[in-house]
Amino acid sequence: MLKNSANVFKEISKNREKSMNSFMKRRDFIKKSLTAAATTAALGGFASRASASGHLKIGVMIPLSGPAGLFGPASKNVSEMAAAEINAAGGILGRQVEIVLGDAGLSPSEVAQTALKLWRGEGCEAFIGMHDSAVRGALINVFKAQVPYVYCPNYEGGECADGVYYVGETPAQSVVPSIEWLAAEKKVKKFYLIGNDYNWPRDTNAIAKETIAKLGGEVVGEEYMPFTVDNFDSSLAKMKETGAELVIITLVGGASVSFNRAFASFGLSENVLRFGTLIDENTLMGIGAENSKNIYSAAGYFANVQTDAAKAFAQGYASKFGSDAAVLNALSQSCYDGLIALDTIAERAGALDTKAMDKAAEGMEYDGPRGHGTMKNRHLAMDIYLANAVGAEFKIVQSFKNQEPGNFCKA
Amino acid sequence: MEAFATFLLNFVYVSAILALVALGLAMVFGLLGVMNMAHGEFVMLGAYSAYVVQTAQISFFWAIPLAIFVSAIFGFLIEWSVIRHLYNRAFDTLLATWGLAILIRKGVEVVFTRDYKSVNQVVPGTVELFGVNYPAYRLILISIIICIFVVLLLWYQRSKVGLRVRAMVQNPGLAAAIGIDIAILSRVTFVIGVSTAGLAGALLAPLVRVEPYIGLDYLLSSFFILVVGGLGSIEGLLIGSTIIGGTDAVISTIFDKTAGYMSVLIISILFLWLRPDGIFYRR
Repeated sequence: MLKNSANVFKEISKNREKSMNSFMKRRDFIKKSLTAAATTAALGGFASRASASGHLKIGVMIPLSGPAGLFGPASKNVSEMAAAEINAAGGILGRQVEIVLGDAGLSPSEVAQTALKLWRGEGCEAFIGMHDSAVRGALINVFKAQVPYVYCPNYEGGECADGVYYVGETPAQSVVPSIEWLAAEKKVKKFYLIGNDYNWPRDTNAIAKETIAKLGGEVVGEEYMPFTVDNFDSSLAKMKETGAELVIITLVGGASVSFNRAFASFGLSENVLRFGTLIDENTLMGIGAENSKNIYSAAGYFANVQTDAAKAFAQGYASKFGSDAAVLNALSQSCYDGLIALDTIAERAGALDTKAMDKAAEGMEYDGPRGHGTMKNRHLAMDIYLANAVGAEFKIVQSFKNQEPGNFCKA
Repeated sequence: MEAFATFLLNFVYVSAILALVALGLAMVFGLLGVMNMAHGEFVMLGAYSAYVVQTAQISFFWAIPLAIFVSAIFGFLIEWSVIRHLYNRAFDTLLATWGLAILIRKGVEVVFTRDYKSVNQVVPGTVELFGVNYPAYRLILISIIICIFVVLLLWYQRSKVGLRVRAMVQNPGLAAAIGIDIAILSRVTFVIGVSTAGLAGALLAPLVRVEPYIGLDYLLSSFFILVVGGLGSIEGLLIGSTIIGGTDAVISTIFDKTAGYMSVLIISILFLWLRPDGIFYRR
């Protein structure tokens, strides 16, 4: 018994020793990491000061992981291509450009941390971003208009933060003219709206519904799906029952692929039209040639837009990265426009200062692969293409010239 | 009437594919106690097998043997290198197979990239059944799945191997004592289990998106089915699939898809909480 308690006591004191040790270790660790942090901060500060005179670092926030990760490789290529062209033409404000990639495929808070590191640590002096709206909100909060930030992809509209410049399509530009055209040309009256459940589909559909009401059409169904859903049987049954003539799709990625495949397998694609602004070349490839009948998509860019500027861009891309490089679509291509817009605005302002750039952005113009763009209220007026799927490719059926993005800045 | 017939066919179809997808996990988890988090990845490998067959421009029929072969090889290697050391350590198998799942996903991503792949429909078009135009391939799939289950049930209940597996599951020590080679039997069960997952992937490939991350969806639904149906019996698996598929279909039709998905989650949680062994529990 005594022996036992002696053992127990020994055991306890051993454990205490252990925990003291680990406590010391922890203190040591904290001290070490503090020193490391201080060094990094000092170096970071040094680095950013050093780069102010040399290369201009631009943070490029694109999805390198996560569900949108498949757009990463093409976005990276396109950004490199734009940077090389800007450098060949003398850089931005006389400084050679260097792009620094940040993964925007993580959660908004993680992306915000990455951006903060690139900005304060690496010394990036401007940012472009190709990611979802939730991440954009987080980045606007990080930057607080202290560093210029160009948001590239299409989005739901409605933003007017200082120091942020939007080169992507808004629903006013892509959805409204497309619905008007489809209603007039294809005589559709009954619309069914289906999307994933978050702000982009809901805001886009709010604008679509206004247009449908104006045209005297009828919305026979409106549904929002969780991201994980890949069975659409009940929605397809409702579409059949309600006699929908045009389905407006704001499902994204895999959900869009599964939905469109099931849609065609029930024979709905023969008589019912489908339209979406996020059905890109890659999604169409997933949907498959045999399921693509009567799909329409609208964007400022498609891989086979046949204008001289777009053809030159596609050729440049193929010769730089090879013919088997990641496929181009409106999303990845938007990174190019983002960098060109940043360059144009900065040159007009004469400095990478957001106050000067906000002023310089108004009325800024440039010519890119998408055609002629004019900036108003920090959004870009541009040409929009409506394309029809033929097999696994898009064919442009109509172009809408110089579409106004809408004004979201309340005076 | 037409809407109701469509609903019934959809209900049968969903239950059937859920049962097929969960079958492999029911064997591996239900019989061997291995929480195979890489289950969905075998479905994914099967789907990519179908894509490879299509790229090689040979008949879709070859996707089935290729998918079974690929998943059997992967299953064998995984069992031999990792799983066999971890039997009776359920939580460790969970961690190990989760790591393997990431490895397989990333490997496929390296070979095939993140892009969506399209596997063409083998039997396009619809067939009229009960006054409804229903996709022909879905009807074929339902019949194939029924055949698979009938064969499997007979094998499990009538064959000698099936008898040995049942003996091993009920009392491994005693089974070993009467001369059953448990190591080999476990390996065979594991390989057959993951092969059915690969087969499911190949059969589903023309209907779903094909990309490296599809496995996660199938893993989740398979676990829900086993939670509701219970481990270790084919009856449990079928009842679980019917309940999960049926609830989703009914609620989605009455309300919307979000409500349907939520009801599946609520049912799974209620079962975990109030009846953690599921409806059929036989071990």
